[in-house]
Amino acid sequence: MRIDYNLNDKFDFALFFSMLGLTIFGLIAIYSSTVHHPTASGNFEKQLFSAVVSLILFFVLYMFPTSYFKDSSIYMYALSIFMLLLVLVVGRKISGARSWITFAGFGFQPSEFAKIGMIFLISNFLSKQDTEIDSFRDILKTLAMGMLPVVLILVQPDLGSTFVFFAVILVLMYWKGISLLGLFIVLAPGLVAIASLFGIYSFIAALVVVIAALFYFKKDIISSAAVFAINLAAGFFADYVYKALSEHQQTRIRSFIDPTADPLGAGYNAIQAKVAIGSGGLLGKGFLHGNQTQLQFIPEQWTDFIFCVIGEEFGFIGSLIILALFVVLFLRILKIATSTKDEFLSLLIIGIFTVYLAHFIINLGMVVGFMPVIGIPLPFVSYGGSSLLINMGMLGIVANVYRTRKNYT
Amino acid sequence: MNNKRLFTVVISVLLFLVAIVAKLFDIQIIRSDDLKYYAQRQQTSVEKIPAERGCIYDRDGNLLVYNKNDVSFYVDVRMAKEKDKEAIAKKFAEVFHKSESYYLKIINSESKNACLEKKVPRETALALKEFKANGLYSEEDQTRIYEYGSLASHVLGYVNSDFIGQDGIEKSFNKNLSGVDGSRLVQKNAKGEMMTIEEQETKPTTPGYNIVLTINKSYQIILEEELKNGLNQFGGTSATGILMDPNTGEILALANKEDFDPNCYWKASDTVRRNKALADTYEPGSTFKTISMAALFDMNLCRADERVFAENGTYKFKNVNINDSHSCGWLTVKGVLEESSNIGMAKLIQKIKSDDYYKYVRGFGFGNPTSLKLPAEVKGSLKNPASWNELTKSFMSFGYEIMVTPLQMVTAYAALVNGGSLFEPQIVKREYDENGKTIFENQPKLIRTVISKKTSDIMRDFLYGVVENGTGKPAKVEGLKIGGKTGTSQKYIGGSYSKQQYNTSFVGFFPADNPKVVGIILVNAPVNSKYGGTVAAPMFKSVAQRIVQKDAVDFEQKNSGKPQPAGNPKNKAAYASNSGKNENKFADKILDDKSIFTKHIMPDLTKHSERDAILILSRLGIQYKVKGVGKVIGQSITAGEKINNRSVCEITCDELKISGAVIY
Repeated sequence: MRIDYNLNDKFDFALFFSMLGLTIFGLIAIYSSTVHHPTASGNFEKQLFSAVVSLILFFVLYMFPTSYFKDSSIYMYALSIFMLLLVLVVGRKISGARSWITFAGFGFQPSEFAKIGMIFLISNFLSKQDTEIDSFRDILKTLAMGMLPVVLILVQPDLGSTFVFFAVILVLMYWKGISLLGLFIVLAPGLVAIASLFGIYSFIAALVVVIAALFYFKKDIISSAAVFAINLAAGFFADYVYKALSEHQQTRIRSFIDPTADPLGAGYNAIQAKVAIGSGGLLGKGFLHGNQTQLQFIPEQWTDFIFCVIGEEFGFIGSLIILALFVVLFLRILKIATSTKDEFLSLLIIGIFTVYLAHFIINLGMVVGFMPVIGIPLPFVSYGGSSLLINMGMLGIVANVYRTRKNYT
Repeated sequence: MNNKRLFTVVISVLLFLVAIVAKLFDIQIIRSDDLKYYAQRQQTSVEKIPAERGCIYDRDGNLLVYNKNDVSFYVDVRMAKEKDKEAIAKKFAEVFHKSESYYLKIINSESKNACLEKKVPRETALALKEFKANGLYSEEDQTRIYEYGSLASHVLGYVNSDFIGQDGIEKSFNKNLSGVDGSRLVQKNAKGEMMTIEEQETKPTTPGYNIVLTINKSYQIILEEELKNGLNQFGGTSATGILMDPNTGEILALANKEDFDPNCYWKASDTVRRNKALADTYEPGSTFKTISMAALFDMNLCRADERVFAENGTYKFKNVNINDSHSCGWLTVKGVLEESSNIGMAKLIQKIKSDDYYKYVRGFGFGNPTSLKLPAEVKGSLKNPASWNELTKSFMSFGYEIMVTPLQMVTAYAALVNGGSLFEPQIVKREYDENGKTIFENQPKLIRTVISKKTSDIMRDFLYGVVENGTGKPAKVEGLKIGGKTGTSQKYIGGSYSKQQYNTSFVGFFPADNPKVVGIILVNAPVNSKYGGTVAAPMFKSVAQRIVQKDAVDFEQKNSGKPQPAGNPKNKAAYASNSGKNENKFADKILDDKSIFTKHIMPDLTKHSERDAILILSRLGIQYKVKGVGKVIGQSITAGEKINNRSVCEITCDELKISGAVIY
């Protein structure tokens, strides 16, 4: 019994098994959606292989001395930026985006790795003694660290991943304890940018709100003007980025406003996803019996729309199980993040948490029709080797922090 | 401070989760049925499986019409890329031995679907089974094959591209031939490719019934050839011929020349496609004299040895000249027919009252459609005695002022020579389903007894005399007793009778003492000769000669005086003994009941048999239509209502279902 107690103390079983449960669920769904597919029938084996490799990485990082993480931050970040630059040169173009590096037969997405690099560097920076999160200078520094990979990823272009990066930057600053004003300064340009996409009137309305907020905070005229100028610029920048986006990403954003307007075009996936999940009912149609899946009504369902397979074949109950596993995972991570005494590790875990959460929200929001169709996978469940590898690796770090939580006082 | 922020984060996550769960509950529980229906609708589709159309045979089982399952190949040009187009052209050029550029031209000339090859035989299509290219697709494409081309085209009719009968048997029996289409439920994937077939949802097809005609293919060939020969020899715009079994009303052959090939019916004009045997009328001329004479004899108004003066060719009758084609002096009644004297006939007909004469003419079926089951039949025109002028009866006696169809004429002659029974002409002998089970078997359908057997015997003897001694001599065949009557009538063109254009006809039957075949030959406006005796009679002779040669044994039996093998003797006997008598009894009864006829009031026909009702209606002198068989269950003019000469009464008949014992 003593051994068991020790093991429980060193290893977070709830965390591990919720991760494992999601991965197995994912493998089942991938098998179902690809077994009868003419070109993707090998995907199950590939994912199974990725899962084994990822589990090894999980345990390697679990056993790693935690002190090394902080020291390696700058190198991780530099490596990320290097790979993001490299992919723009030698990357393979798949459906309009240059986001893959192929090496010895294996494809890899540098943007997945860049998430870790950025989290490490910003966590490192924010956990320094002399960092003042509410100072204008340090906010800018943090943003700069975050924006560099974002810009490189936008060039690919991969819109979906940049949302995750923004979320991570924001949550890290929030966790560090940024003030309301600071949050406003960081957040406002993003909101103005989104507003500008909806047209000139919403853009002007957003600017009016910004001016009102500036009066509320009663800052000096120069600072207020600077903040206003940044917001104005953000609006124009968003407009520019929107126009620079590829055609299919533009239509995806447009179709969000009314997915039913063009059922065979941009809104097709959104509708088919809803039909697949909805037709599953309470108990689902059973493994390999989801007609919508088996008849391939949703293209490449095993990636971003994997939740549809579960919803259709395992029903409302299956969907709830997936959600429950995620809730356990999230709560365990948050528990670990608050229990560690080291600020860097706490921030690191919150950054990792945010990556999962952002993927979770954007993916499920897309699948059930809350959000536009932004191509982003569901962590641990969706098909994709590099995504699974990074996700499990990151969770290995989280588990490591649990293991070593008593080393910090 | 972090605890407060942690709290915010946890609350945010939970809020999102609640929203997601609510949404999932909405679509997976509340709207699940709608979405299930939507999914099923887009994943499955009901495909029609067309039923096999029935085949058509002649009475001896010779296959006349059938279907061929071909395959047509198309390219959806929008789906095919350049590479595909080239591959398709190459493969098709290889299989069909045409040039690649030929196919490329077809593909490039269309913007949607290009038809590469239409109706390719199945064997050839197999060569393309494995070949796949974007945009290329094939469809089952059936063809209706009329095995003997134009043979019996006016009987068979034709089908349009949707396999719907447009004329002839194909039209009038379209429903029976079509069968019932089946359907199957197929699952289709997002690209519309068929994935699986749901067997339990499949509705099988019911193939159409096969039809056996009363037509005899050999007779049909003979008739058509002789019509063609006759037209070549004598000229003329068209010729019509019908051969019928007088004892059953079964049509043995029916043809019009010019005719058309149903395999490519669109090449023929409407005029050529029209079945003139029943869609066109003519004034019958002298062939009608037999009808008139039968009426006289049946009412005992005339004796065979009676003599009549034929006025040597010209007779001024009520200020109008009646002429004979050749002058005669004193003639016996038989001589009037043999010499075809209009004057003699006009004099004799004065003995009968107009109303009585009208009832006989009507009794023979004139002025009513014969109800042969072929489309577009007309009823001709028979004026009611009320509208006759003082000359009508006389002129009608030798076949003017009345319009008839060749079919009516041959049907009437059948009754004239078979003992007096008017049968409904039949074209379909039998219908059977795909398992060979008989669905319909034709029984001779007696409409009424028009004249007595005695009268019929006299007429047969007279008509034999016409061919032996009179105008019908050119129809005489060595070793075969033929009876018949010639007819020549001036065509009524633009308000007056033409001196150049004639309808010449011959209605005949053989063997004369026990007829097996009755037939009509009608040549429209012959050029080289104008008389029925010189044009139509020799044509009839050729037909008769060839038929007898072919079926020698059959006819020898007949000549030896044995009971006729044709038709349905049992049935005929039944009519002769039982029904016939009842019929007459009933007829007498209503004839006695003067009130029916004097008041012009519609009697109650319900519960009467179909035949009784028809008898009453024809005696009343009004037109009628009959629907169904059995006892009368409805009449369009209700009992007690006033009727006049123009009234048309439709009676509905049905087999009454009798429950329990019935004591007679």
